[in-house]
Amino acid sequence: MSEGDVQTIELDSPPSLTSLYARAVVAPVLPGGRDELPDRRLELRGAEMEAEHVAAYSRVCGFGVRSVVPGTYPHVLAFPLQMSLMTERSFPFSVIGLVHIANRIDVLQPIPMGSSVDFAVWAEDLREHRRGRQFDMVAEAEIEGATAWRGRSTYLRPGGGSDSPRSDGDEEREPAGELSVSAEWDIPGDIGRRYAAVSGDRNPIHMHSLSARLFGFPSAIAHGMWTKARCLASFEGRTPETFTVEAAFKSPLRIPGKATLRSGRRDGGWAFRLESPDGERAHLIGSLRG
Amino acid sequence: MSPPDRRPVAILGGNRIPFARRDREYAGASNQDMLTAALDGLVSRFGLQGERVGEVAAGGVLKRSRDFNLTRECVLGSALSPDTPAYEVQQACGTGLETTIHVANKIALGQIESGIAGGVDTTSDAPIELNEDLRRLLLDLNRTRSTTGRLGLVRRLRPGQVVPALPRNEEPRTGLSMGEHQAISTKRWGIGRAEQDEIAVESHRRLAAAYERGFFDDLITPFLGLERDGNLRPDASIEKLAKLNPVFGDGAGATMTAGNSTPLTDGAAVVLLSSEEWAAEHSLPVLAHLVDAETGAVDFVHGDDGLLEAPLFAVPRLLDRNALGLQDFDFYELHEAFASQVLMTMKAWEDPAFCSERLGRDEPFGSIDRGKLNVTGSSLAAGHPFGATGGRIVGTLAKLLTERGSGRGLISICAAGGMGVAAILEREA
Repeated sequence: MSEGDVQTIELDSPPSLTSLYARAVVAPVLPGGRDELPDRRLELRGAEMEAEHVAAYSRVCGFGVRSVVPGTYPHVLAFPLQMSLMTERSFPFSVIGLVHIANRIDVLQPIPMGSSVDFAVWAEDLREHRRGRQFDMVAEAEIEGATAWRGRSTYLRPGGGSDSPRSDGDEEREPAGELSVSAEWDIPGDIGRRYAAVSGDRNPIHMHSLSARLFGFPSAIAHGMWTKARCLASFEGRTPETFTVEAAFKSPLRIPGKATLRSGRRDGGWAFRLESPDGERAHLIGSLRG
Repeated sequence: MSPPDRRPVAILGGNRIPFARRDREYAGASNQDMLTAALDGLVSRFGLQGERVGEVAAGGVLKRSRDFNLTRECVLGSALSPDTPAYEVQQACGTGLETTIHVANKIALGQIESGIAGGVDTTSDAPIELNEDLRRLLLDLNRTRSTTGRLGLVRRLRPGQVVPALPRNEEPRTGLSMGEHQAISTKRWGIGRAEQDEIAVESHRRLAAAYERGFFDDLITPFLGLERDGNLRPDASIEKLAKLNPVFGDGAGATMTAGNSTPLTDGAAVVLLSSEEWAAEHSLPVLAHLVDAETGAVDFVHGDDGLLEAPLFAVPRLLDRNALGLQDFDFYELHEAFASQVLMTMKAWEDPAFCSERLGRDEPFGSIDRGKLNVTGSSLAAGHPFGATGGRIVGTLAKLLTERGSGRGLISICAAGGMGVAAILEREA
């Protein structure tokens, strides 16, 4: 994407996710956009890392309250901007039916509680996936002009897969046996609603088994970004000041439910895997490194 | 029996988070959050990332039952090596100094080379328990197998039982709060209102001055936007304090106000101790040594002594054992639970009758030069998160001795349950 063609739109306030979801439901019946990602950048300046909200988020995800925000926290402020872009008429895909398959977060400098952050969000890198097409929603957070945080969420639009050789990281699958069990989690049925309350992401598939069934899920499932945050929180005390945490989202984690966290040292960092108690299904495969 | 060989115990430094008034900046932070923050600040100041220290001992007074392994949990969440063991001590306001003594003793005996001691308390994120009747009912219900038995128990449910039990700042055996207890002592010792307010104003003035000259720059890690103690009022004055109404004691004789009593606060403080060898290996300068300590208690329930009067006895015993007089100190850190507690302590040691009848001395124990007392302020200005106060004082006094170059300091902390903890710190020239 050449810099000259990018249209930058600055927002005064974060968009409401509730109305974006409403737009998302209506969008499929409206005329679709072109077959390429929009050259648009949404910006939101001066988002506050408000202590009370960070603390509420931390409690839901298992983080302690520190003077810096958890590495996954800025995502909840960037997500409404991503949704706003993805539900625009010009966006090539309906957001309903997109699958969040991966997320990478780079914390380039610690983000102090109470600081003011400028967000920019855009879509890039529409490419083939063996099960369809994939693209990245990128969010960057700056503090006083310096990039402090970057989040990259990869979405899959299933269908018309190329069956091309695997280049999408699906094969990074860590043999579970090499990671040792570090925790067994009992995940309560209301975790979707509790994460929704702190993230604003009230996607019906996370809220209740009835609403999840409407969208074809047998029961409610946990937010992918909650499972990632929960995994990162388990490395409290072992997370460097600046780091990269990656996650590939595999099978949905039904709630209420149980999950097993496995972890192990890898290349100076950590590899982890959240899986079903019988080890048959992986929910998330991730890594953390300084 | 001769005392066993004891190694010198070095104090290498302290770290705390600023103390916050209840329900202010730290309202959303738990004991675990605050203690971890104080610990991590210490770890980064002394370069202990990934280091296995001998042990971490800390504790808090207002603790939730789920925090049974609070200190160990904090260590696991900190940058210290997860191979560092930890445990808790609860000795009310004496906690932070008592943990220092425990760690120091293990170092002195050669059982560990280094250790971290301290404490924490939150009055904002306080534990709330089930109503006692409801708790017993639920336990009975759990033990009862038959349906009819259970139905019988359910009939015991009463609407009033939904009201939870809040933690109370009162002595279980007397039903009196600490302030009410001290009001009795204040009256008995004839401590006046004006002298209490003076102690309070001086505490604020000295703490503010210490901040101004950067004294706390290497003793405090800012937390959640707070950089100085939230209770500090640099502009506190006798006139302003004189306007406050008494909150403890009855009638015209009541003198204890919110201004000359410590407020409920949240915070955490820790100190780093080690053997001489460990300090040298880590190239860390020794600020001071912990020479000796004494913990005492009095029968405040049926006896003659007030709840906060144990230090009156513990300090003389400590000094006698070390062949020191009360004047042999360059700094006195008398924890200001209440201004009247400090005044009462000094008055008792000057009182010939008390010293002869209760301490069995021919001469009064002695006077304290006010110019050497709490020179960088104390709890009235900083606030007093119960478990954290000992760590705050040890860190402060060790630094004061370093600034002076050499000298000796005395710490005295009164505690609930009629207890008191005292210690001697020293820095050789």
